[in-house]
Amino acid sequence: MSKKVLLVDDSTTTLMMEEMILKQRTSYECVTAKDGLDAISRAVVESPDLVLMDVVMPRMNGFEACKRMRTESSLSKTPIILVTTRGEEEYVEAGFQSGCNDYITKPINGFELVTLLQSYLGE
Amino acid sequence: MNMRSDLPAKNEGQNSAQILGNQAKVYAARMRLQNAMDQADALDAIREIAGNLIGTEEVAVFKIDNERSELWLYWSSGVDPNKHSVLEVQREPRLKQVLNGKPVFRLKLSAENLLSTDDPVNALIPVLVDGSACAVIVLFRLFPHKAGIEPVDREICEVLSNCAGRAVEPYHSR
Repeated sequence: MSKKVLLVDDSTTTLMMEEMILKQRTSYECVTAKDGLDAISRAVVESPDLVLMDVVMPRMNGFEACKRMRTESSLSKTPIILVTTRGEEEYVEAGFQSGCNDYITKPINGFELVTLLQSYLGE
Repeated sequence: MNMRSDLPAKNEGQNSAQILGNQAKVYAARMRLQNAMDQADALDAIREIAGNLIGTEEVAVFKIDNERSELWLYWSSGVDPNKHSVLEVQREPRLKQVLNGKPVFRLKLSAENLLSTDDPVNALIPVLVDGSACAVIVLFRLFPHKAGIEPVDREICEVLSNCAGRAVEPYHSR
């Protein structure tokens, strides 16, 4: 059974790019959400094996969505990777405090993305 | 298992993932611009492409006023519009090439700026409609962790050049 990845971003461009890379380079199934609130409800229903989520989004940002996911028993141990525009220490620290497992910076590098996800989900 | 014999295969896998990632970026940029619903959405697409695929949150679109030999700020995101309201062609030698339809990029690690402004400019991209430049997209400061414009960024800029016409000419289909 293939692993399921929830991709969360308000940018259709980013979702399209991430989905294209993962579908061609891995066997993961991709489901998508357009903001933090949408991500929580999708995650509860879909029970993904990993969440790849942007930080800056309307309605609810990635930090907040990450915190809320950690309070859901079904999502408390799901790997969450945040996609940030900044790699600065403060920003990364805020991500880890929200409960994320890892982060990747924009613009996303295809090889780095696949390698990072495979380190959590296997090939 | 001989680890050395795995290296070429590993490098090949890395290269192909990289190539696919780049192709995905170019494809996503083209699809996003071609599927823009209206002018506002096309401008939003430029912002998205600059931020998510190239790596800058500072972008502006200048419309060309051929009669007055200047470019005036049409739309911007992440830059102070008062600082960049007009670009005079005579004062900006790099613009001549752009007005002829050729993009200009700042070389990696180069201290030279493309425009006479304090803000670093990394790319000047002509927006082509019916083969002629009708506007110029300016990419300012890149994200701190991004060293410069990469080959894939140039390909994305080519897509911007050919497919962003609708952002400035609302009745242009592409």
